[in-house]
This record gives sequence, C-alpha cells and structure tokens, in this order.
Amino acid sequence: MNAGNERKEKPARRGKPEAVILFYVANQMFAIAAESVQEIRSTDGLAGAANEIDQQVVPKVRHILEWSRRTCYVVNAGVHFGLPVSRPTLVLILRRMRIAVLVDRIDRMTEIPAVYPLPQAFAGKERRWYRGLAYIDDSVIPVVEPSGFLSADEFAALDRAIKPSAPQPEMEGAARA
Amino acid sequence: MIAGDNSRHSSFVLLRIGAHRFALPAALVAELAPPVKLHAFPHTSNSVSGVIIRRRRILPVYDAGSLLLGKEASGQQFYLVARCAGEKKELSAIPVSGECEMATGQVQPPDSNSPAHVAGTLVIGEESVDVLNLEALIASAPGNSAGSSRAGVQP
Repeated sequence: MNAGNERKEKPARRGKPEAVILFYVANQMFAIAAESVQEIRSTDGLAGAANEIDQQVVPKVRHILEWSRRTCYVVNAGVHFGLPVSRPTLVLILRRMRIAVLVDRIDRMTEIPAVYPLPQAFAGKERRWYRGLAYIDDSVIPVVEPSGFLSADEFAALDRAIKPSAPQPEMEGAARA
Repeated sequence: MIAGDNSRHSSFVLLRIGAHRFALPAALVAELAPPVKLHAFPHTSNSVSGVIIRRRRILPVYDAGSLLLGKEASGQQFYLVARCAGEKKELSAIPVSGECEMATGQVQPPDSNSPAHVAGTLVIGEESVDVLNLEALIASAPGNSAGSSRAGVQP
C-alpha cells in the first residue's frame, strides 16, 4: 500500500467516442448524446406552442409542447434532478420521444472518448437518470439517459391527466393565432 | 504510513476518521490515495459523496464520517481505497486523514450491543479499535430518498 502522486489521471478508455451536448442546470453540468436531441429552442420562442397543464402527479412537468406534429411533455430538469431552483432559458426537444427538457444553458457540443459505467455504489434514481459518466476537461460529468426523464408510469399518469384538456388538432392553429 | 509488527497475526490498516480510530483488514485495502479531486453530481444515494479517479478507474467515495459519526468529519483529505467484503466487490474510497498505519493482532468478537458495521475489536496495547465491516457500514446508510438529491458541486 502506498500513497500515490497527485498527477491528474484519466479513467481508462473503454467504449467508443460519441458526440454529446453539454448543458447546465443550476450550475451543474450534464452531457446528453447529440443524436438524441432533435432541436434546441429558446423558451421565449415556444410561447405559442406550449400549454400549461394542471396536474400534480408529476410535478416536474408543467407544460406540454405541440411540436412537429407531436405532443411533448416538458420536463424541468432542475426538478427532475432535485437541484435548486434555476431559470431555464432553453428547451431540448428529444428525438423519437415525447419529451422536451428545460435547461438553463448550453455549454457546447463536444466528443467524449467513452461513457464509463456508473459505479454500483450509486443505487438510487440516478441509475435511471444516467447512462454513465464521462470525463471532460478534468471533470466527471453524468451522461443523461434520455428515456430516464419520464418513466412509463409517469407517461401514463400524464396522459390520463391531460386527456380531457388536451388541445384538439383543429384548434391548435386558432390557439396559436 | 508506518509499518508495525508483522507476525502470525492478521494485518490491519488503522485509519482515523474524525477523532476516532478504526481498523480495516489489510487484505481489503488497495492503497492510501493522496488528496485528489472529488467529483460530485446529483444523485440520491445517501452514503455516497461523489467519485474520484484513481489508477484510471472511477471510484465511488463513501461518506464514512457521516455514517460512523453522524456528521461529516473534517480534515479528511486523503482517500483509503478498499474493496468491500461480501457481494459488493467494487473498489471504493473513504475519506480519511493522512494518519494511517499498519498493525497486527487478533480480533476479539464484537460486543453484543455493537452496531452491525463493527466486525470485532482489535486490541493494540491498551487501545481497543473497532474493526470495520465496510459492507455493513454502507448498508446501514439511510435508504435512498424519494425526492431529494445530493446536488453536485460545480467543478
């Protein structure tokens, strides 16, 4: 047994490189696979497409977003991750999912050499939240699992909650106008 | 770290957490790591404070001070890297002060009223030191919280 030196270490490279988008929520950086994000929009630009929904079953969802002929649930990432209240300014609209995610800001798009598995010590909700960990600029950043933002049960609860009040397709244009 | 009397007895690493000394079987200990950066991010596992990178591995860091003493121990700048006994074989780190030493001795059975994380008592001279069962210590942590997370700190 010995006390080692203090030089910076990188985890051993495993897996394959992939492009990710780095974003911040409440001063915490996260990564998400770039291929899982369809669009990034300002919250200001979505005012006409977002509708507030009145439900308390899934507190992290307060709005639905009508976008590209889809109805997405807008998840507040700060509430999802249990972070302090922040002021989201952007929406990540996820690809092939009925999920949009409110985040504070985008840092940049970059390539990570690998996604490292989350240690077994992490046994709570984070196992659904994260695909694993990435090492970027001397920091370990959680790599978000896109499908972890809403579980099947949460989808079902939200679908039930909005069913009576969901805007009808023919009314959508009128509502925007 | 000071090498002590190595004889036929079992070897232990004595470590200090807060004002208390504990012992871990030396066979489970990989190294005493220097003060490296603790990487924290949101999660709900109450016993874990983050991860460190050591020897090209990402290791979870257990908040042993809170688990043993009920509060975060100050002055814990080094990390003792050890493998849990039992099912959880993962290499893990616990923050310790730099004062670690080797000791040998025989372990006495724990008192009947000892907590589960005390595997026994190591008698060194006139001092008795609790031998830690890391796996039981980790298992003793409060369950994962339903809503709150341990928020990370911005690097």
